[in-house]
Amino acid sequence: MAGRIRPVGLVAASTALLLATACGGASLGTGEDERSGPVKIGLLVPRSGTYKALGDDMKQGFELYVARHGGKLGGREVEIVVADEGETADSGKAAAEKLVKQDRVIAVSGVVSSATINGVKDLFETGKVPLVGSNASPTTLTGTEYIWRTSYVNDEPGKALGTYVAERAGGPVFLIAAGYQAGKDEVEGFKSTFLPAGGKVAGREVYTPFPGTKNFQPYLAQIEKSGARAVFCFYAGGAAVDFVKQYRDFGLADKIPLYAPGFLTEGGVLKGQGDAADGILTALNYSADLDNAANKEFAPAYTAAYGSAPTTYAMASWDAAQVLDKAVKAAGSTVTSESVNKAIAQVGDIDSPRGTWRFNGGGTPVQPWYLREVKQGANTVSSELVRLGG
Amino acid sequence: MSRWLDGNFVSVVDGVAFGLLLFTIAVGLSLVFGMMDVLNLAHGTLYLAGAYVAYALSDGTVTGLLLALLAGVLVGTAGGAALTFLTQPLAHRGHLDQAVLTLGITFIVADLLAAAFGGDVLPTDPPTALRGTVGLLGHSYPVYRLVFIAVAAGLALLVYLVFERSSLGALVRATVADRDMVRALGVDIRKVLYGVFAAGAALATAGGVLGAPILGPGPGVDETVLVLSLVVVVVGGLGSVRGALAGALLIGQVQTLGVALLPEYAPFLLFGTMLLVLVVRPQGLVAPAVRA
Repeated sequence: MAGRIRPVGLVAASTALLLATACGGASLGTGEDERSGPVKIGLLVPRSGTYKALGDDMKQGFELYVARHGGKLGGREVEIVVADEGETADSGKAAAEKLVKQDRVIAVSGVVSSATINGVKDLFETGKVPLVGSNASPTTLTGTEYIWRTSYVNDEPGKALGTYVAERAGGPVFLIAAGYQAGKDEVEGFKSTFLPAGGKVAGREVYTPFPGTKNFQPYLAQIEKSGARAVFCFYAGGAAVDFVKQYRDFGLADKIPLYAPGFLTEGGVLKGQGDAADGILTALNYSADLDNAANKEFAPAYTAAYGSAPTTYAMASWDAAQVLDKAVKAAGSTVTSESVNKAIAQVGDIDSPRGTWRFNGGGTPVQPWYLREVKQGANTVSSELVRLGG
Repeated sequence: MSRWLDGNFVSVVDGVAFGLLLFTIAVGLSLVFGMMDVLNLAHGTLYLAGAYVAYALSDGTVTGLLLALLAGVLVGTAGGAALTFLTQPLAHRGHLDQAVLTLGITFIVADLLAAAFGGDVLPTDPPTALRGTVGLLGHSYPVYRLVFIAVAAGLALLVYLVFERSSLGALVRATVADRDMVRALGVDIRKVLYGVFAAGAALATAGGVLGAPILGPGPGVDETVLVLSLVVVVVGGLGSVRGALAGALLIGQVQTLGVALLPEYAPFLLFGTMLLVLVVRPQGLVAPAVRA
């Protein structure tokens, strides 16, 4: 029976099984409608898989806000229904449908991945349920009425850095990013301000296969050969750790300064990178050491509750809760998905740990961007680069 | 020519390092599948477990690394024995059942590891004495990867000698060729099966311990490693140490030199190579040594 071994069949079967594992995630809810009871808010974040660490940050930021406001948003008791976004657009969509159709939440927050938010766009738009997203924000997501983002548009960190790097680099800059939509958005954003400011690209921009690139040596060899005076890269999660460590291991860290959108050194990855991250310069809309009143409430409370400094992901989720807090309050006695959505549009200035911001016409923040440098294992703000989103 | 070599020498060397890492992982998968006919999709998980052992025990000293290696081998041996025990009842039900069972085991173990170590990537630093870089033809190259090349090459030689040159290896190959005959000679077939499985698994966890500074532990690494190992096994040919070595070294070069030369084709190089080998030599680079 065991007979001949057919490698093709083996690999096909294995691949199918690996793909099958990408499904699953959401568990069944109760499905009851509770519009008169507590306000039900869905939290759609990865509870498993590659993005779990991001999902944890987002869940903690949101829950911290609610906890510090007596378990209420806009004066109403809150029931948070958590659903697992998983790793893929399919698992995210299934979880979002469960939140909207079964749990009948009045609004959803969260969403880590751009693929998920593209996949659930129609669900929220046609279902007229507001999604106050606190992370994923592809540049292509425009013209929506029910989708808000308290994070940023994906090309903005690159945009924030472009002029600065063009002025500082003193020569051509090598561009390298993870080969998926967010990576391309970041590089395009960077070039949109870098090239007009007189910046020159070293060689050709490189997109490394994502996910799956674990050994960056061949790309590091390219960088070394290119004669670049600086590198702009985009990586997040595990790839950020591997890239930064190997950048140091292959001796580039001392020779060629590394610039990146802040995700490269944000949150758990920084611990993994250790001292290999020292000196890396990043742009982001937040840093845990920002000196403002809102952050003086948020950052210490977060650190006390969860044992690590807050990330931009946690901060954006805190703000998402704050937006919902204000919107539910403004909606008054008739708290429905549509009244809350209307109220979000008029929510005005948000006093945030990142500094004050407000939604633009596209539902994303007009906000300050900061230059940060990693010193002794922590991101430290060195200056405000620009205000973007207008 | 010398300019070409100058520009790509580091990639060639790193291809050897990466290839030898793939060999230590994939050879177990190849032997267990090729000789014992057990498809073990939990193989990547064994690597991941080894890498976590390295993370947990590494303290910046060479002694710490050696301790981790010992612990990793023990974990691998136990894991291999457990996998043999669990897959035994499915021995006659074909590869699909084995695949489903072992894949299920990977999910359970991956969740347990994530619960224990969290969702972050936790790369391990090599011992302090082996950190830093050395000059290779004017380019810098990490000391640890050179040490890894030496250790893994020694390991490859040892595995080759045991499986293809020793009487123990002859016994294993005889078991594969004709179980009844070996049983008639009074050998307990199950011991051979457990032994090969445990050895293959121990190699994968040892690869995880030594490879942690190169392919560090974190969620998803098990799948990456499993896919790479399957490609190596398919390219190299099943069930022979030399096949695993040839496949691993080729894939190592494809993943470093190939990517350095053709970065825009990087996403296709791995599977393109596999496709090419399957078309030209469906049995793999080195034909299975013993299986008829």
